[in-house]
Amino acid sequence: MFRPIFAIANATVGEAIRRKVLLIILFIATLFLIIAPNLGMLSARSETVVLKSMMLGIIQIASAVIAIVLTVYMLPNEVERRTIYTILSKPVMRWQFLAGKYLGAVLALGLMMSLMAVVMSAMFLVIKQNPSEAIKLLQAVAMYFVQMSLLASVAMCISTFVAPLVNFFLSGGLFLVGTVLNPVFDTMQKSGSGASWGKGLAQLLSVILPNFATYNIQNPLINPQQQIQSEASYYINAFGYGVMYIAIMLITGMLIFEKKEV
Amino acid sequence: MAKASSKQALRTKFLAGLAVLGLGQAVLQTSVLQPFWSKNYSPAKAGKTGSLVDRSLSPDQMLFALAGFRELIAGILWVRADSFFDSGNYDAILPIIRLVTFLDPKQVDVFSTGIWHIAYNFTDEEQRSDRRYIPPAIALAKQGCEGNPETYEVFFETGWLWYHKIDDEYDQAVKYMEEAYKRPDIQPARKNLRSVVLQRAGRVEDGMENYYTLLEDAQKVFDKNPDVFQSRQNRDAIVGNLDTMIVRMVQRGFMAGKEGRPLNAYDVFPPFDTGFSVKVSVLQPRVVRFEGTWNVLPVGSRIRCVIKDADWDVFSKYPAQMNWEFSDDVNLEPPRDKTFMQEQLFVRNRRFDKTVDMSRDPTMYPFRSKRYLVEFYYNPRSAPPHIQDKFSWNGEGLADKNFTNTEIRPGTRVFYTYLELDKDQLLRKGEWQEKTPVTKTKNYVEVERTYIKGDQILQIPSLRSGG
Amino acid sequence: MAAAIETKDLTKTYRTKAAGNVNVVDNLSLHVEEGEIFGFLGPNGAGKTTTIKMLLGIISPTSGEGTVLGEELGDMNVHHKISYVPERPYYYEYMTGFEILKFYGSLFGITDTDRMNALLERVNLHRDKSKTISQYSKGMQQRIGLAQSLLNDPKLLFLDEPTGGLDPIAHREIRDLILGFRDEGRTVFISSHELSEVELICDRVAIINYGKIARQGKLTELLKGGRVEITVEGYSEQALKDMNIPDAKILPAGGDLLLDAPEESDINAVIDAVRGSGARIVSVVPRKKRLEDLFVETVSAPKAG
Repeated sequence: MFRPIFAIANATVGEAIRRKVLLIILFIATLFLIIAPNLGMLSARSETVVLKSMMLGIIQIASAVIAIVLTVYMLPNEVERRTIYTILSKPVMRWQFLAGKYLGAVLALGLMMSLMAVVMSAMFLVIKQNPSEAIKLLQAVAMYFVQMSLLASVAMCISTFVAPLVNFFLSGGLFLVGTVLNPVFDTMQKSGSGASWGKGLAQLLSVILPNFATYNIQNPLINPQQQIQSEASYYINAFGYGVMYIAIMLITGMLIFEKKEV
Repeated sequence: MAKASSKQALRTKFLAGLAVLGLGQAVLQTSVLQPFWSKNYSPAKAGKTGSLVDRSLSPDQMLFALAGFRELIAGILWVRADSFFDSGNYDAILPIIRLVTFLDPKQVDVFSTGIWHIAYNFTDEEQRSDRRYIPPAIALAKQGCEGNPETYEVFFETGWLWYHKIDDEYDQAVKYMEEAYKRPDIQPARKNLRSVVLQRAGRVEDGMENYYTLLEDAQKVFDKNPDVFQSRQNRDAIVGNLDTMIVRMVQRGFMAGKEGRPLNAYDVFPPFDTGFSVKVSVLQPRVVRFEGTWNVLPVGSRIRCVIKDADWDVFSKYPAQMNWEFSDDVNLEPPRDKTFMQEQLFVRNRRFDKTVDMSRDPTMYPFRSKRYLVEFYYNPRSAPPHIQDKFSWNGEGLADKNFTNTEIRPGTRVFYTYLELDKDQLLRKGEWQEKTPVTKTKNYVEVERTYIKGDQILQIPSLRSGG
Repeated sequence: MAAAIETKDLTKTYRTKAAGNVNVVDNLSLHVEEGEIFGFLGPNGAGKTTTIKMLLGIISPTSGEGTVLGEELGDMNVHHKISYVPERPYYYEYMTGFEILKFYGSLFGITDTDRMNALLERVNLHRDKSKTISQYSKGMQQRIGLAQSLLNDPKLLFLDEPTGGLDPIAHREIRDLILGFRDEGRTVFISSHELSEVELICDRVAIINYGKIARQGKLTELLKGGRVEITVEGYSEQALKDMNIPDAKILPAGGDLLLDAPEESDINAVIDAVRGSGARIVSVVPRKKRLEDLFVETVSAPKAG
């Protein structure tokens, strides 16, 4: 049952890591990571804080763009180039195809993010000579990886019924919304202002939509003054949430894809 | 047929799985992840400091914030704000301060500078602060404290604001100075201020105790590094402060009282009458003259005078001040339709005569309300030490035949009274176009000269040790 | 012989904005024998590819039914025994020829590299097996497609426009390979509009137009009924009228006369009649009916219903 999934995933990785547009994004991100230490001078803030914030910011943005660009074209390209027919005429179920494609996307994403993480750590170590902080930064990147995998699953699901360009903005929009969900929710809870229906809506949205903010754990890393209790269990829960939501997205995608005329 | 039904069964299984997963993620999200995230990772940690959705943040600014690089952008903006400080474009700095604190709620110096800027830099043509800006400064200060509990800085600045700018309600200053004092990163020299605010709050012994503790620590530091100038200087400063304080306390009979020894004549000098009287005349629209008497030392005596709306509870229920904490919103647009003028009437030769010209700042002094209170207030705790020598911390020695008050500042006997003016009078409208509005206390006596015969003059004793 | 493909009233309806419901495939009943090369002909947009997708189980029919190698349409089991080479296939360009075989093999769980090498040799790509697909010519890409389609030793192959856009030499290579498939006892289902190719290799054909089968049958039977062209010199109008040749078309060809008569008519009688009129016969050329004629005849017929 998993053999075709792995075979398709493998082929997908091979193709993804050769896509020019992704490589260009990766290249630019890496370049920025390398020159990031010099950009810190523009800012009035402590150099380490800016450096960390910027490096993580670069990785997050680049990864999000890669995750979306990588996945929105995945299914449409297969159809357009008719490879999907050669594959589906083999003993491969559609859901296996989709799962293989997604797995491949995540693996490719992992590879690219690893590369950026390596560059980031190297630069950080060269400039700050602080291995324990570098490891903490890697923790954040690991959380981003789960976040981006979730984003990829959203884009994948949407790509089963929407054209790539629309999907690009839809997924991107969902990412933004999913990123502000927590802060919005927070503000509403704390300010006491805002109508009760607004709060209800925020609550509803944060239950339904993928909550990308869950993985934005960089604040205490950038400003490391506070101690966080039972952080490990949060990481595990966040990972579990990601897996659940990814499963939801993929199963939904599979159900739609199963019915789709290709 | 069998195939179709098995497919249907698979579909049903998938849908059931979806339902379970959907429920699972919702529960996990709302009950575990969301609260934990809010507590530990939110840029708006435990406050509204970094909240990204707020009236004052536009969508593009929000996008900026979401796009990462928050700290970098905040830093760049702050550099930009610097040029506005140089050019005196203070209004332009406000939104930058707000934005920077949203983007990077950990940038402590923006809070400290911002609090000071908002509270101090908006003044009228005669350099009186626009105190309507103090509540947002306090609100910003609170957010800064909540967002940066790991450093003393914002607590210290907030304490300073209460102590120096508001110069009233010293318990608030103490509260924040205590917080600052607890933080390990506080500079040794700044710990002295804890003693000062404790004294102002009437907790003299705690203040003294603080000096002793500081001295002990400073001595240890000095013993370790006798060659470091800083450590010597710090110790000597504390010795000096402590010394001055002890001398004052001895003079005021504090030590004698504590030891149960009889107080000498100086210490029990009977209350006298400060003989306050005032006449307020509106010379021109928004130009008010205060003339009157205040029988205190020729030097260093200033009476607080406030003109404010009589009907807004944020003002009216708070004698001689306003409710500085009336909102937790950092609303950088002060209440433009409200008027709050605060001035110090400087006393010379037991009289004061001050003309306050508000006509050049109609936006700061709009006079939209119908009625206005003209308040006069003197709190012995804000008095200079040589006057405190007589009035003491809690106003035990403060006496005025007509206007002492023990209610508006519980635990302290202060001087307080108010007169009333209405809008037409202040703006010289209606019947007051030609006629100069005058209001005065009953005891006000028109005189030509500055010295009033028969007034009791406060005798300041020479320095001598009590008991 | 058993049927490799059998469909009954297979219909696929698409909903379009412009024209409402359109039957892209309309009550299609196909019959393909095992071991034959079957040509599935039709102009572009006739519904060929849609039919193949239904046969492959990639899409499901709106109505109707069918079997492929005895299994119901859409049954995954049949995928082990069939293969499909789409029109101008695109394979992952970064892969080498050998990697393509490995990839498609892995979908079946086939890891036998000897077999893959043998297949590469068979399609004459063994020397180019380490080149990436992006370096392959169209013909080579078509051949690697055929090689991958043989990986699972299929009983039934679907080839969609197998020679589309290829040069004549490549045509020939592909043709030979396909004929080889038949010799191995495989059924080959070719969808095409390149009639000359089909004519050369197919045993039976079906012509589809507007989603409907217009003709179906053995090629030899469908192409029965050629014509004979008789060129005549020195004729008289009156004599020709007297001859009264049924179904003959009289085409003026310069000063000469061209008589076009059905193959089954009595040519000898015609010749005699021409001679009897005093005209001279220049040539008598039998023209065999060609698939192209049949196709044009079929396809240019107005849409029924």
